[in-house]
Amino acid sequence: MAKLFDFQLVFTEIPDLLAYLPTTLFLTFVALLIGLLVGFVIAIVRMNKIPVLSQLATAFVSVLRGTPIIVQLYISYFGIPIALKYINYYRGTDFNINDIPGIIFAMIALGLNQSAFDSETIRSAIQSVDKGQLEAAKSMGMTGWQVLRRVTIPQAVSVALLPLGNSLIALIKGTSLAFTCSVMEITAAGKVLAGRNYRYFEVYCSLAIIYWVITFILERVMAAIEKKVSIPEQPPETEKSLPKQSEARKEALA
Amino acid sequence: MSLVEIKGLKKSFGNNVVLDGIDLSIEEGEVVAIIGPSGTGKSTLLRSINLLEKPEDGQITIDGETYDLSRITSKEKLGLRQHTEMVFQQFNLFKHRNALENVMEGLHVVKKLSKEEARQAALQELRKVGMGDRLYHYPRHLSGGQQQRVAIARALALKPKLLLMDEPTSALDPELVGEVLLTIKQAAKDGYTILLVTHEMDFVKNVADRIIFLEEGKIVADGTPREILDNPENERLRTFLRNINMLRTADDYVI
Repeated sequence: MAKLFDFQLVFTEIPDLLAYLPTTLFLTFVALLIGLLVGFVIAIVRMNKIPVLSQLATAFVSVLRGTPIIVQLYISYFGIPIALKYINYYRGTDFNINDIPGIIFAMIALGLNQSAFDSETIRSAIQSVDKGQLEAAKSMGMTGWQVLRRVTIPQAVSVALLPLGNSLIALIKGTSLAFTCSVMEITAAGKVLAGRNYRYFEVYCSLAIIYWVITFILERVMAAIEKKVSIPEQPPETEKSLPKQSEARKEALA
Repeated sequence: MSLVEIKGLKKSFGNNVVLDGIDLSIEEGEVVAIIGPSGTGKSTLLRSINLLEKPEDGQITIDGETYDLSRITSKEKLGLRQHTEMVFQQFNLFKHRNALENVMEGLHVVKKLSKEEARQAALQELRKVGMGDRLYHYPRHLSGGQQQRVAIARALALKPKLLLMDEPTSALDPELVGEVLLTIKQAAKDGYTILLVTHEMDFVKNVADRIIFLEEGKIVADGTPREILDNPENERLRTFLRNINMLRTADDYVI
């Protein structure tokens, strides 16, 4: 009987797949940035209830959360060229649709999908910041921007970190669907590789190992960042060298 | 002319008129206590002075600069807020910054001092309130009384013309009230002008120069502690004081 499962191949294939890892990581990184930026803008628009924009943002979030990512990738891949053709036709412009690399469509689709989820995380993190502290900052004479940058954002970040980390992990795995936009990331590379020797099972095992290791590293990194931004559990040692001032003051005032 | 002059301050929430044309002048170095039944606009008065609430009408003059509170620009708002500082019932320290950073924050960000200058000034203020040995403690590591002392240091570091204190001891355990009152007394001694809402009548009697009795959005009585507490002329004021005294003598009812 031929070898049912080529255990060795699972590992020997990994280097071939890793050659495409930069594509996966680059796609993840850009989609992450788009997600955070657009998500932040959506959160601000919805929190300030800016007319028209706020309703549009709500509809956008609802649609993107309510449709599968693979459908969104196809819509981006087929829809954007159609839109460009339409613009070319009516505006007389000359965009060359075939020049656009597939990864751009994947970046847009994955980025916007992220933004829908991130916007809710960012919104709830910002709203979780204690109003009293904002009043304290305002009454010091800080401008709105200073309050946002010095008080709201630092505290919102530590609240948002965990859910944003989860969403980043989901995104990395989501990039495996980018082959729909003809992007050669590691999953697509794996399929091509398996097409040569029909060892599909082995290549998917290799891919599983790669994704899991990336996610594992990422979890460690997130945990380290979280530890860094969180307020220490234990108070520091009190500076004993200084005299007990409260006692001295009590005597002075007595 | 007085250091602070408030004229015709009006504020309502919906149909509920909370402040109904308040006129009030405060001299430099004066400690003015506001007393009155709950819901009569004591906190709202304080919060309207530094525009945490937006009054419908009224003007305020601080140190020669006049602001029309109903038509204030955002630039004037920042100016007014830099003359006044607020100490809150719930302390409202920045939770992600330690005691020293809390006090440095306004000095560095609003007063534009360098980090080192801000640090020196903050150290000095924290030592004054007796928190010099807990500079690197975060608010979560401090007791309520300690947090409030840091909050007072944070306000005083900015050298406000007028210090607003909104029930600074109401959220504290009874045994922690003393240390905060002592800190406020020290600030009064140092010559700060203070407008204070409080229920600590003994403290008011000893430290305040003037007491204002606020009821239903109006100043009903205004005088020295002796005039207000010992010989109240106003009938409503007498009722209010009787009510507090009844609470004080609750021991009498213990069987």
